[in-house]
Amino acid sequence: MTCAELEALLCDYVEGALALPQRSLVESHLRQCPSCSALAADARAAFEFLRRAPAVEPPPELLTRILFQIPERVQSPSGLRHGLRAWLRPLLQPRFAMGMAMTILSFSMLGRFAGLGPRQLSPAELHPARVWQALDDTAHRAWERARKFYLSLRVVYEIQSQLREWSQQIQEAALSGTGTSPEPSLPAEPESGKRPNPGETEP
Amino acid sequence: MAGTLIIAPTAFVARPTRMSPASAAGSGLLTETSLDPDLAIVQRCLTGDEAAWEQLVKAHVRRIYAVCYRFTGDEAEAQDLTQEVFLRVFRTLRSFRAGEGSFQVWLHRLTRNLLIDHYRRHRAHRATEPLDQQLPLLEERSGATSRTDSLLAGREAAEQLASALQQLSPELREAVILRDLEGMEYREIAAVLRIPEGTVKSRINRGRGELARILRRRRVLA
Repeated sequence: MTCAELEALLCDYVEGALALPQRSLVESHLRQCPSCSALAADARAAFEFLRRAPAVEPPPELLTRILFQIPERVQSPSGLRHGLRAWLRPLLQPRFAMGMAMTILSFSMLGRFAGLGPRQLSPAELHPARVWQALDDTAHRAWERARKFYLSLRVVYEIQSQLREWSQQIQEAALSGTGTSPEPSLPAEPESGKRPNPGETEP
Repeated sequence: MAGTLIIAPTAFVARPTRMSPASAAGSGLLTETSLDPDLAIVQRCLTGDEAAWEQLVKAHVRRIYAVCYRFTGDEAEAQDLTQEVFLRVFRTLRSFRAGEGSFQVWLHRLTRNLLIDHYRRHRAHRATEPLDQQLPLLEERSGATSRTDSLLAGREAAEQLASALQQLSPELREAVILRDLEGMEYREIAAVLRIPEGTVKSRINRGRGELARILRRRRVLA
């Protein structure tokens, strides 16, 4: 047996996987060849060391990291359809879908209260000028309605009447006693916290 | 599109269910690839089954991480590389051809290519470091006598081994890792590395020999 022939069998010999006739051939060569014998001894020592090496375990978070990237990274198998699905995936998340549904519901309720009920649309109504006109009209109506609602509030009415009263008093004081009373008789602290402008007291 | 599927549908035919394995083997129909347990999962992955992707990752992540860790000797690098391997799997699984070998061989080849790329990228950086940077410290910690048995018990042994493996050339290192630490068959290693089986054995012999000398210098081996 030559050294090259031995090298071909050395792995199996070191691992104990060699059948008896070949094993005895290898052993007889090793007894005669110091360099092969040294190589065989080293190979066996390393093999034994590696055989007892502790197993390596990946950290659990690595698996999570890899799994987390599966849906994002998988290439689309059927082009457009899958690409569209991948693109829409964030929109189809339960949280997003629920939020979207609630938003639409809120707007529809607001629209209903604002008098924007659903009705049949005719093609003529979709003309930009008509749309703009309708929007303008709706905006003005909404503004007017909001203004009317605001003005008819009791607290607004009371503040306004109080302010009117004060301005009347100031005017009266200015007309009746110019010079006699430098300071007009202001009422007590206003309830609403709004004071008339001090500048108005100056003649 | 069914026409773009690269994996031949016949590869997934469960032949053993139609005939006994013995008769199938006898008739020569039972090919090596039809026994690949990963093929069914791979096919499900290609149909967009996310559970199958998860199954595929779980089945191979430990092994791929171990190979990356043994090759680089660094946990963080091994994690990044493992992640990169699976990202490539996700992207390129359609290029896997069942007729050209098992999925495991394909996966290991992909890992190996990535590891060699990584090695080449960092070679310049590593050349500036002392070759045996950790050696004095390790020798100091090791006693005059061999501490093989106690070392093998824990993390220190893994670190010693990882650092010793780093001193092997990448060709010898990968062969030794795949055979002695991952227990792959010689023909599988030959398929992964695309070299003849005789060359694989030669590299393993030389790798084992060099590793033994390194470990002996470090007094890890008697």
